[in-house]
Amino acid sequence: MTTTVTKAAVVAERRPAQRRTAGVGRPGFAWALPATAFFVLFAVVPLVLVAVLSFTSWNGLGAPRFAGLDNWTKLFDDPVMLNSLWLSVLITVLGVLVQTPLSILLGVWAAGRQRNRAILSAIYFVPLLLSATAVSVLWRTLLDPNFGVPSQAKWLFGDGNLLGMQSGAIGVLVFVGAWQFTPFHTLIYQGAARAIPQVLYQAAQIDGAGTVRQFFHITLPQLRNTMITSMILMVVGGLTTFDTVLILTQGGPGTDTTISAYYMYQKAFKSFDFGAGSAIALLLVVVATVISLVVVRVSGYDKMRSSVEGL
Amino acid sequence: MKTPARISRAVAGGVALALGLTLSACGGGSSDSAGGGDSDKIHVLVYGDAANKVEKQLVATFNKTSKVKAVLDTIPGADYQQKLQTIISTPQAPDVFFNWGGGSIKPFVDADLLLPLDDFIKDDPALKSSFLPSVFDSASVNGKPYGVPMRGTQPVLLFNNKKVLADAGVTPPKTWDDLLGAVKALKAKGVTPIALGGGDQWPTLMWFEYLYDRVAGPEVFQKALGGDKSAWESAGSKKALGMIRKLVDAGAFGTNYDSVKFTDQGSPTLLASGKAGFELMGSWEYSTQQDSHPAFAKKDLGYSSFPTVAGGTGDAGNLVGNTNNFYSVMKKTKHPEAVAAFLKLQYSDEFVKAQLGIGNLPTTTNTEKFLGASASPAYSKYQFDLVKKAPSFQLSWDQAYPQSASTPMHQAVQQFFNGGLDTDGFIKAMQALPTA
Repeated sequence: MTTTVTKAAVVAERRPAQRRTAGVGRPGFAWALPATAFFVLFAVVPLVLVAVLSFTSWNGLGAPRFAGLDNWTKLFDDPVMLNSLWLSVLITVLGVLVQTPLSILLGVWAAGRQRNRAILSAIYFVPLLLSATAVSVLWRTLLDPNFGVPSQAKWLFGDGNLLGMQSGAIGVLVFVGAWQFTPFHTLIYQGAARAIPQVLYQAAQIDGAGTVRQFFHITLPQLRNTMITSMILMVVGGLTTFDTVLILTQGGPGTDTTISAYYMYQKAFKSFDFGAGSAIALLLVVVATVISLVVVRVSGYDKMRSSVEGL
Repeated sequence: MKTPARISRAVAGGVALALGLTLSACGGGSSDSAGGGDSDKIHVLVYGDAANKVEKQLVATFNKTSKVKAVLDTIPGADYQQKLQTIISTPQAPDVFFNWGGGSIKPFVDADLLLPLDDFIKDDPALKSSFLPSVFDSASVNGKPYGVPMRGTQPVLLFNNKKVLADAGVTPPKTWDDLLGAVKALKAKGVTPIALGGGDQWPTLMWFEYLYDRVAGPEVFQKALGGDKSAWESAGSKKALGMIRKLVDAGAFGTNYDSVKFTDQGSPTLLASGKAGFELMGSWEYSTQQDSHPAFAKKDLGYSSFPTVAGGTGDAGNLVGNTNNFYSVMKKTKHPEAVAAFLKLQYSDEFVKAQLGIGNLPTTTNTEKFLGASASPAYSKYQFDLVKKAPSFQLSWDQAYPQSASTPMHQAVQQFFNGGLDTDGFIKAMQALPTA
């Protein structure tokens, strides 16, 4: 009897205390209002408008004309569209495959506290500070078949027709993307690697594990959550690649690098078919959301609990 | 304690909302005042580039005598077409605007936004008769004139590097066989016979425009443009395609042309540095070279018209390219008399002299008088004679077709060149283009 009474008393006492702790320092919903208002105004409203537009035929002049499912049926019959989805996925997957190992190795290496590493990491970070446009123009000039690097290294590049054939053009797009964004992911991994408790390595050393073993058995498993974060960012970035394509290949040769985001731009702003462009945009939103959800699900990210509660 | 906290939250939310509202109100207000809100002015919208110098000068001249003042608005080049299309059906639309004639204004005519210039011409016949007819006609839609030429004509010519040609013992080709011979001779010398900025796609299109014209005559393309898709299957069309195929397979353009661009100086530098013998390009090649390779432009830059084709039906004097740029007038303009007066300036002596001064070649009938004052009189005279004598001047295909056709057209052209499409594939792709 006494035990139950005390238990109930404890519980009764705890509840308000818990509620109080949970509320301490937490702002009310009103704090989220400005952000919510902006989100609704600049994300939800345009998204709804685009959805409406995708059922119309509009060339930017006068009022849009309702066209039913026209844009959508045409979209799924359009070989260029289907191919562009495949190209988007291909470029994204290649991007993840190239950037992930590179940025893990560089990030873990840069996590050391020596001065030279700090300086080098700062230099690695520079490409990220350049705009994608500047980066694309830079590489376009460097890769010019007649006046750039290929003309000096014929044994490697042959006639230098990198951007004039599909495999070469995709390779260049993946390479330039990696050149620009690996530094960012390196930075994420560097931070995560520094957060790994030193005691783990000390214990492993006492057990006689070498550097390689330490890397595979301590560092990599500890970086798992960071890997998922970084890969989701890469997937979203890859699917929305646009500026590099616009400047480096213009979707060419032919339609060989016409990825979905660029095809949307072509339809809407070069062909002035805003209905079809909107349909592609909406499709891209759906595909990107599905892929992100799949990544989250497969990686078990949804079951992950943060050890520290947020604000 | 609770009440003040709640109030401050409400205030914060209110401030944020108010901020959003003021911002949007601002946007509306400023664009209004920039547009046609002022009633005693006409707005002239032009492509923003170096040639604006002349347009500014003419607007100043016009404003000296006119009660209704003209305001010159510019849009940076690359965005011009997009921006124009987004504002043209709004209150911000200009009164007069720059365009390329043909397909570039057809959607606006279809949307009933443009003023046919018949009445202006009735009051002032010189508005039509002062311009070369082949040029003036390319801004007619459905048989009605919708544009007055401004700036200069840009025919496509076959440029060459005199020194490279001399080293290989080649002269500028007069016939197609001459060109094939030149290709062989230049290849033997180890240079790329013809520089091509295939990465931009439109330079590749120029080869199609000229060969179709020379082999089958301008009628075939006009038929196709008019909606008769069988024109693409005609014997002339197939013959022209076969000749292009042969030229590419002979290595006339090297193997990496699709990685080269004109717009980033790639192909012009090939020509200037002697790595290539020829380049087929619009007349702006001259000012491009003068800008980046002045010594070459002065000494070794040669030019000739496109070679004739034995057995072809097209006249050897026919030209392709951009016939000119045009001013079109919006139907909603409140000051048609002022606009008409402004358009008269486009054939004035002052206009011609100013255009020649910056290297443009205007297409008024009195241009000839002032050719001596141009940046390169010989070159200007050569061009002017070509344009004047041309029985037909074909507007670039991608400008003649509606805007929605340009992307698939460029893709098909590039794919046919690099072997991605065969003859039948190319014909099908062209037949699928929208014509109206």
